[in-house]
Amino acid sequence: MVKSKRLFTLIAVLVLLAMVVTGCGSEDADSGDSASTSDLVEIKIGVSSPFTGDVAALGLGIKNGALLAISDSADELADLGIDLSAFAVDDAADPKTGVNAANQMISDSEVVGVVAHLNSGVSIPTSAVYNEAGIVQVSPASTNPQLTEQGFKNVFRVCTIDTVQGSYAGTFAYNELGAMTAVVLDDSTPYGEGLAAEFAKQFEAEGGEILLSEKIQLKDQDFKALVTKMEALNPDMIYFGGMYTEAGLVSRQAKEAGMTAPIMGGDGLYTQQFIEIGGDEGDYSTSVGLPLNEQPKGQDFIASFEAAYPGETIEAYDTYAYDAAMVIIEAIKAVAADMGADELTSVAGKQAIIEAVAATDYAGVTGAVSFDEKGDTLNKAITPYVVEGGAWVPVK
Amino acid sequence: MSMEIIGQQMVNGITLGGLYALIALGYTLVYGILLLINFAHSEMFMTGAYVGYFTLIGLSKIDFFTSSNVGLLLLYVLAFLAGMIVTGLLGMLTERFAYRPLRNAPRLAPLISAIGVSLFLQNAALLWISSRSIPFPILFEIRQDDIAGVNVSSMQILIVGTTILLLLVLDTFVSKTRVGKAMRAVSQDREAAGLMGVNINYIIALTFFIGPALGGAAGIFSGMYYGSIKYNMGFIPGIKSFTAAVIGGIGNLRGAMLGGFTLGMIEALAAGFISTGYKDVIAFAILILVLVFKPGGLLGESVVEKV
Amino acid sequence: MGGSKMELRTELDTGKWTTKRIVSYVLLALVVVGLPIYFQSVGNMFMVRIAGVIGIYVLLSLGLNIVVGYAGLLDLGYVAFYGMGAYAGVLFGFVVQDWLRSLSFLGDKADGFTFWLMLPVAALAGAITGLALGTPVLRLRGDYLAIVTLGFGEIVRIFLTNYSKLTGGAAGLPRVGESIPAAAGQQWAIDTFSMGDFVFTKNLFWYYLIVLLCLFAVFVIRRLDDSRLGRSWVAMREDEVAAASVGISITKTKLWAFSLGAMWGGIAGVTYAYWIGFISPESFNFMESVLICCMIVLGGMGSIRGAVLGAVIIAGLPEIIRWLATLDIFSGFITPEQASLLGDYRFLIFGGLMVVMMALRPQGILPSKRRARELHPIDESIKEHEDQQIWEAEHNTNTPNHDL
Repeated sequence: MVKSKRLFTLIAVLVLLAMVVTGCGSEDADSGDSASTSDLVEIKIGVSSPFTGDVAALGLGIKNGALLAISDSADELADLGIDLSAFAVDDAADPKTGVNAANQMISDSEVVGVVAHLNSGVSIPTSAVYNEAGIVQVSPASTNPQLTEQGFKNVFRVCTIDTVQGSYAGTFAYNELGAMTAVVLDDSTPYGEGLAAEFAKQFEAEGGEILLSEKIQLKDQDFKALVTKMEALNPDMIYFGGMYTEAGLVSRQAKEAGMTAPIMGGDGLYTQQFIEIGGDEGDYSTSVGLPLNEQPKGQDFIASFEAAYPGETIEAYDTYAYDAAMVIIEAIKAVAADMGADELTSVAGKQAIIEAVAATDYAGVTGAVSFDEKGDTLNKAITPYVVEGGAWVPVK
Repeated sequence: MSMEIIGQQMVNGITLGGLYALIALGYTLVYGILLLINFAHSEMFMTGAYVGYFTLIGLSKIDFFTSSNVGLLLLYVLAFLAGMIVTGLLGMLTERFAYRPLRNAPRLAPLISAIGVSLFLQNAALLWISSRSIPFPILFEIRQDDIAGVNVSSMQILIVGTTILLLLVLDTFVSKTRVGKAMRAVSQDREAAGLMGVNINYIIALTFFIGPALGGAAGIFSGMYYGSIKYNMGFIPGIKSFTAAVIGGIGNLRGAMLGGFTLGMIEALAAGFISTGYKDVIAFAILILVLVFKPGGLLGESVVEKV
Repeated sequence: MGGSKMELRTELDTGKWTTKRIVSYVLLALVVVGLPIYFQSVGNMFMVRIAGVIGIYVLLSLGLNIVVGYAGLLDLGYVAFYGMGAYAGVLFGFVVQDWLRSLSFLGDKADGFTFWLMLPVAALAGAITGLALGTPVLRLRGDYLAIVTLGFGEIVRIFLTNYSKLTGGAAGLPRVGESIPAAAGQQWAIDTFSMGDFVFTKNLFWYYLIVLLCLFAVFVIRRLDDSRLGRSWVAMREDEVAAASVGISITKTKLWAFSLGAMWGGIAGVTYAYWIGFISPESFNFMESVLICCMIVLGGMGSIRGAVLGAVIIAGLPEIIRWLATLDIFSGFITPEQASLLGDYRFLIFGGLMVVMMALRPQGILPSKRRARELHPIDESIKEHEDQQIWEAEHNTNTPNHDL
């Protein structure tokens, strides 16, 4: 008796949980347009980034960008006889979960390419999985040089690598900002570490002096002791290799303690979030490509983003994810025209897509996208930004 | 190395230590009564911060609260009350549904429940509120004063002052009042206390109100001090405060306080004078050293060998 | 607990190979061997991969079970041994790889032997780390031990991140230009077992290798459990003072528990590293330790079957929820958006399930029989009855005293 009662409780709780979960979107359950796509070839683009965890905001932005590209090109693809959808999987910014996610995507034979991942630490181990499966991987945000140094023919990225961005920042800080001394911080991630190391190398090569190099731990909030230490050294600037959350906290606590040196970082800081958390007037960041407003397609992107996701802000990598997806979509179009839509999901088709991506010459939202033989983008334009009037504006 | 810098680092350390101490009080209270590491406590910290945030945002729309200093003070008092009451109730709820059924279970079972509650609450905040850092509203000006070359802000004084005040209140409550005596009785021998007419369930529920409420208050302080809150903000302070409670001698209120301030100070000095990257290594190494030489923590009673 | 002799006999009795037992073992073996082949043949690489990951966690939970389940030492930093095994295996592997290449008779197969040579090295690295942790904390018990092990795990992770000259820092290993060699036998297995459309993949190779390691671990741990050392652990867990008084060396017993437990962590670490071909410190964080600990408590402490089941549930469930969410059979009543939402909700559901599970079965799903009796010596009803008797007895004996 007792046992069956307990079992009943367990089942009741499970059902309840399931209802909570499925109930969260049941209003729009019927609005799907599944009826109209009967005689089209169904293919998918895998999208994987952290939807949960510390950097979920950026990861969800990548998902938004990639989904937008897919829906923007739906009509054109339908004319070619293709029904393209997204297969979005959470990688939780964790290498193990990321490799699981990669295997989940390649297990679906309709997946012909992936837009993945945010973290270099995830992209590197997963690239071996995609390579084995013969599927193209275009990363919107993994900037660690190691990713494309592995010799995989199927791995590409639309963002600039740390070496380019870090050394640009080093030159910019010394020559444009006139900084002679700097403190270099990084957040103990492959991204932050790589960026900070490149900055330090270039800054010293230009003739600047690094007064202090320190590592911080992710999720830490208290940097007061670090700030006091930096204040005593009185540097001209602080370079931060890492993401906006910690950078914002460092900037805020530094300004509270009366430090005037600006903080500078890479594209991980280039988001409104940085300013909301604590980024102050005069803080700098660098980001890949030209400013969105100056890009020919920038206004279109902003318009269609706002139509698709009313009330959401454009995060740092949304445009890269959009371009990454577009690069794959362009390749799909080319291969479909060449070999026929039915061939897309075959081994030869997927191989042809990899080759088509390698030959990409596409005018994207972030600028012209094409790849070198390693798979890195040739778009090496970097734009420095400064916080002015509570927003990032390009440095004149 | 000038004295000012050392002094400044001490101020940094004491403030951080105050936050740790406030959270550690919750750990130590619960541990004293149930011998349970309440892993969900770090999420109580986070919940307090979010409730405080929503109260502030909601009430600051009413002119009365923002137009005068009295109103502003009242606004923050209300935010603290709301944060503490809601987290306290959440703590009681957790105890009722996750820990009470396990009161006679093996020691580690409630620990797993606690981890489950922690995962649940953290993901609930992530999925239902936001995955982003949220700026915490600070509607008054924080004064910065120079005391002998050391920069001290009104916020730091507020945090440390409140922590010490709360400890004194709590210490008096536990040692002097009837209910406090009942709490001590339950922590010494639950069954015997029950036989002496103490309502055990009531005492445990009360403990699970006070502990999380203090954690909730610490969460709001943290939001005000660092200026932003996030769904996973409880993780690091949670681990550190638990460490602090153990350094001081877990189950001992004054020990939690001492441990909190000690740990905060160690961290600030280690980060300031040795290396920020290794400050946690130093903090944990000192924890190990303390325990090797004093296995019951600084103020803890030495572990009685059971025979 | 007067009936310990009888309990021992019942334990022995259940050890008999009854038909029911044989059938269930054969079925289990079929599932363990066959299911991944089935998934591979239908092209579901995801489930093959998950099976391998579960295997790694089975190894880890079996190892931690020695420390927590048998010896009763709560260890919240087990991931340190896992990480040490992985890093020691890879770093020392680079050195050994060069040496192997210099041996001309191995030819181009030289690299493949690195992994096999590194297995015992990583086991040793884990065991030494276990001793390094175990020695200073011998006097600690319970939750004090828990926090020290937690701190130790963090110390190891921070060192792996910060000491980048050796460990490659946050960017992990291998660095640019280096590579972790495939294990000898992998290519052979792939060539031999691939038939027609069926491709024997790298993941399958590692899955079976991990299963073999798990079986080996189960065998060793069973032998340990019945050995003098295993019984010393149980005695120490139940009462340290009493155990010492009957001549058990607490120091030795504890250190054996730490090092033997840690050894499996090291083996799991090196296996994971050579399977994935990439390691970074973020894989060895505190949450991993907590999850491994959850596995053995959920499964039932001190029980091998419990540790295995716990690992299967905790490592597998969140991923399986995610996989189920994308299945076609659910597309009838949930939209892809909801399915992806369900995937994001997996930890929320999982956290809730842990609470419910514990409330329903606090001793774990498959507790060790020996331990279960220790924890619940007698049924509640019998206990009440006995209490009543004791109460009466006490009052009876008290009565004549009043006359004195």
